Parts: sequence; structure tokens; C-alpha cells
Amino acid sequence: MSDASKPASEFGLSGMIPAGVSLHRLSALLTLCLLIAGFALSSPAFFSINNGLTILLQTSVIGLLGIGMTLVIVTGGIDLSVGSVLALSGVVSAMAVKAGVPVVPAMGAGVAAGAACGAFNGLVITKLRIPPFVATLGMMLIARGLALQLTGAIPISGLGEAFGLLGNGALFRVVEMRPNGFPNVIFPGIPYPAILLLIVAVAVAYLLRRRQIGRHIFATGSNEEAARLSGVRVDRTKLYAYTMSGALAGLAGNVLMSRLITAQPSEGVMAELDAIAAAVIGGASLSGGVGTISGTMIGAFIIGILRNGLNMAGVSAFIQQIVIGFVVIGAVWIDQIRNRP
Amino acid sequence: MSAAPLVEMIGIEKHFGGIRAVDGVSIDLHRGEVVGLLGHNGAGKSCLMRILSGAMAPSGGEIRIMGEPVSFTEPNDAREAGIETIYQTLALADHLDAPANLFLGRELKTRFGNLDDRAMLKAAREVLARLNPNFKNLGDPVSSLSGGQRQVIAIARAIYFDTKVLIMDEPTAALGPSETAMVAGLIKELRAEGIGIFLVSHDMHDVFELCDRVVVMNKGRLVGSHAIDEVTKDDVLSLIVKGELPADWSARNLTQAAQHA
Repeated sequence: MSDASKPASEFGLSGMIPAGVSLHRLSALLTLCLLIAGFALSSPAFFSINNGLTILLQTSVIGLLGIGMTLVIVTGGIDLSVGSVLALSGVVSAMAVKAGVPVVPAMGAGVAAGAACGAFNGLVITKLRIPPFVATLGMMLIARGLALQLTGAIPISGLGEAFGLLGNGALFRVVEMRPNGFPNVIFPGIPYPAILLLIVAVAVAYLLRRRQIGRHIFATGSNEEAARLSGVRVDRTKLYAYTMSGALAGLAGNVLMSRLITAQPSEGVMAELDAIAAAVIGGASLSGGVGTISGTMIGAFIIGILRNGLNMAGVSAFIQQIVIGFVVIGAVWIDQIRNRP
Repeated sequence: MSAAPLVEMIGIEKHFGGIRAVDGVSIDLHRGEVVGLLGHNGAGKSCLMRILSGAMAPSGGEIRIMGEPVSFTEPNDAREAGIETIYQTLALADHLDAPANLFLGRELKTRFGNLDDRAMLKAAREVLARLNPNFKNLGDPVSSLSGGQRQVIAIARAIYFDTKVLIMDEPTAALGPSETAMVAGLIKELRAEGIGIFLVSHDMHDVFELCDRVVVMNKGRLVGSHAIDEVTKDDVLSLIVKGELPADWSARNLTQAAQHA
């Protein structure tokens, strides 16, 4: 009986909310396809394997930040510090390499530094009861200041080939030597950052959907007091989300610095806005309780493709900022419409 | 009934700054007993119940469950002691569906530690069907459900687990007549099973129909604890409003007995 009435109610007013969520993601996906089609028509170089891989590379950083941001936004919070934490983590990794630590543990130290910043955020928010906006704004300044102070605002370069492998390497790369001695790249391979992004996205999506902590993250963002009364350890859940966000920002920082083989303490300014935009475009609600990793991935690719396509079309970086600004406002506006009763 | 009471709260205090929200209140509850807790808004009854459910730490006093002193630092502690609460706000996470809310904080898991959504759905279907046979849309987020359905989820969550003490905070305030009757029937059923119930209510009719005893609070103090057949509605109203019984009060059942004699 209810099964028969269900499809009808999907279109009715009572079914608006669940239908609205998937509708949002569908419209984001449609936007993504429209963007790809539009840019492909405007520039023939856009729709090529090489450019596709470039987009994958560029999006992997936004994507990693966006995944962490999604966890935080679903708890009903916000993390403004990820751009600065990204820079600090890259700097920590680079300094460790310079101090003679092998690359893998050095990068581990960078990610750990990011996680520590995230944990600090979480503790300030849960123990000192400071709103996430203010707490992470503080961390944004602290981490950026630390990165600049540690390096004297000078980029750390000469980190060696191994440091660049994570950002520049690729799986299944096929290269053959021509008779004239020049290499011929048959297939450029799948970049490691893209593989990393896929692994992290699948892992976090699993965490959110199938694990208790994921359910508690949703419950906390949906109704914090109810979650607490139901026995959810709300503070621990939030601490977890912010620590994950910090760690993923650290990972993104390592990917970015590895691609440049240089640790730039001024890297990642405004990256938090890209990450927030990716999550919100993908359907995460800034009031908490709603959000998916797949949606955030779509959002990240919308931003990545927008940036790349505008570049390919020769649009200036200033105009790009204006466009992305409007996209962010538009996405939050859609969020507002959706939450209106 | 010589065994230790299910719940004893002895000399409970709760201060907010200089305000004494709960001022030296002692109260007890026995197996299979329904105790109505009445008072003005701000009389401290919700505060007292929040202390018992572990949602609020008392400033002083002692809680004993079946004679054993306990100390609750979070709601989980109280739930482990068999104390379940139906909050007036229902305390549901609106974006989650009914099974997720039912098992929130106590999720069923598979061998590998994953959420066992299938088992939770099955259990939820059984317990919800017992309370409301028309409850079918279990996959919808609870924000899209009716007030009665939401109430049913909150009630199901409180009785599904091994419950010894049930705190009901205004359980019928948001309900229609048929749902109110369902809750009344449920209270009688649970009482027969030996569960002790604290019923916080404003509805004098409900209280007199369902409770074995009424306890009245006024300005943080306990001003009266009477078997339901000792008092009239007017007596209870006087306790709520003035904090004391009418000047010429005598126990109703005794008076009647005297008149019959």
C-alpha cells in the first residue's frame, strides 16, 4: 500500500525534502556536463586526454580539502583553516626532508602536523565552546603565520626527485624510446594524486555511510542536543571531523608541494573557499546534517573544470575570481532555497 | 514491596549561579508505579528529570538505583542503568530515518563493525508496528513525518531496550486524541510489566487517570507527594499554584471512608 503511494509522494510536498537532495546533486552533475560541453566547444584543446589529466591533478587538491570540509560541514561546522594548514603541512614535510628524514616519514610528519592543527580546532570548539567560524579563523592565521615564520617567507626548494613523485608520478605510464633518442609518451598514465583522491573519497564515503562515526557525524549536525541525549559523544565526533579535515588538508598540502617540488609557505590562500564551495555545490548544507562525498566530488570537479576551462579560453585570473565568486554565492543561494520551509 | 525502590533521589540540588533550580528534592519510584510529576513551568521538574536521565549533572545529592548508589555523567550511563527518557522535544535527528533514530548511539553492527542497517530496519519495523500499525515509511527522514509518527519513534526508542525506568516528559502534548489514548494504553501496559514511570505532565486529566501517586514541585522544592486517591484536582492545583494544600484539607479517601462509616 505504502509502496504504491510512494512514487506519488516523491513529487508531492511531503516528499520534497528527500527528492530535493538528489535533485540538487543531479543539477550539479548536469552543470558539470554543461561546463564540459561548453568548454569543449570553445577550445579544441580542452577535450583531450592530456588536459583531462591536468584537470584531475588540479582537482585532486580541491577534492581532498573538500572531503575533509564535507565531514566538518555535515557536523554543522565550518573549517576556514584548511588553506593555511595545507601550507604549514607542506612546509613541515619539506623541512623534515631538508633535515635528512626520508621522504615517506617526512610526508607523514606533514600530515600529522595537519591533523594536529585540526585536533586543536576541534578542542577549541568543543572545550572552550568557541564557534567553529571563529576558532578556525584563528587557526587560519596561526597556521599561516607558523608556515611563514618557519621558512622566513622563503620557499623551500631543492627537495629532490623523490619528494616530487607523489605529485608528478603516474600509474600505467607508457613511454617508448624513439630511435632518435627522444622519449615518446604513448599513455601519460593516471596521476598519483588522482588515485589518492579516489582512495580517500571511497574510504571517507564508506566511513560516512557504513560506520558508526559517520552516522554520529550526521546526527550531530542534524540536531546536536538530540544526538547528545541519545548517547552520541558529540564532542568526540566533532573532534574527529576537525582532525580528519586537518589531516586531509595536510595530505593535500603534500600533494601540492610535491607537484611543485617546492614548499611555498604562501600557497593555498583562499583554498578553504574552494573547498567550502565544492561541498556546498555538491549539496552539503551549511546548517548541518546533509552532505555526501560523491556530491562534493562533483562540486570539486565543477570548480576545477571552471578554472581550467577559463584558463584555456584565455580568461584572465581576475575575471576567474569574479566568476567563481558568483558560483559560490549561487551555490549557497541554492542551499538557502532548499532549506526554506 | 519490601525490596529497595527502583529509583531513589535523595536531597538533589541543582544551582545555576545563585538560582536554586532544584532545592533538596527527595523522590522515589517503585516497580510498576506511575508517578506524576507536576508543577509550573520553571518549577524544576524538567531539571530533576534531566538529572535522572544523565543529561545534567546535579550540584548535590545522591541517586540510587535499586539501592545501589550511581553517578551519571552522561546520558549513556543512565541508559545503561535501564533509565530511558522520552523528551518533550523528542530529541530526534531530523535528517536521519526512523531506524537510525531508534538506534542512535546504540547502533547494531555486523561482525566487521559496519552498521547493520538491515537488522536495524527489521527491528524498527517490528517495534514501530507494535505501537502504530500504519507506520510504513521507515526510510524517510523523520523531518518529513507527522508529529504522531515522530512521537512513536521517540517512544519506541525508550521501550525497545531493556527498560526499568521510563521518564516521559509531556508525552501527549503534541498528540491527537487517538494517539493520546495509545500512549495511555501503553503506560498501563508498561506498568503491568513492572516498569516504573515518571510522568511529567500538565494535563490533570491524564495524571488522575494514569498515575498512582502525584508529586508536586514549586520553585525548585518538593511541596507534596500524595497517593492519587488522597487528593482532588483542586488540591493538586493548590499545590502547584500556592505550594501548599488548601487550609481545610484532609485526605480525600479517608474523608470518604469517614462519611461512609
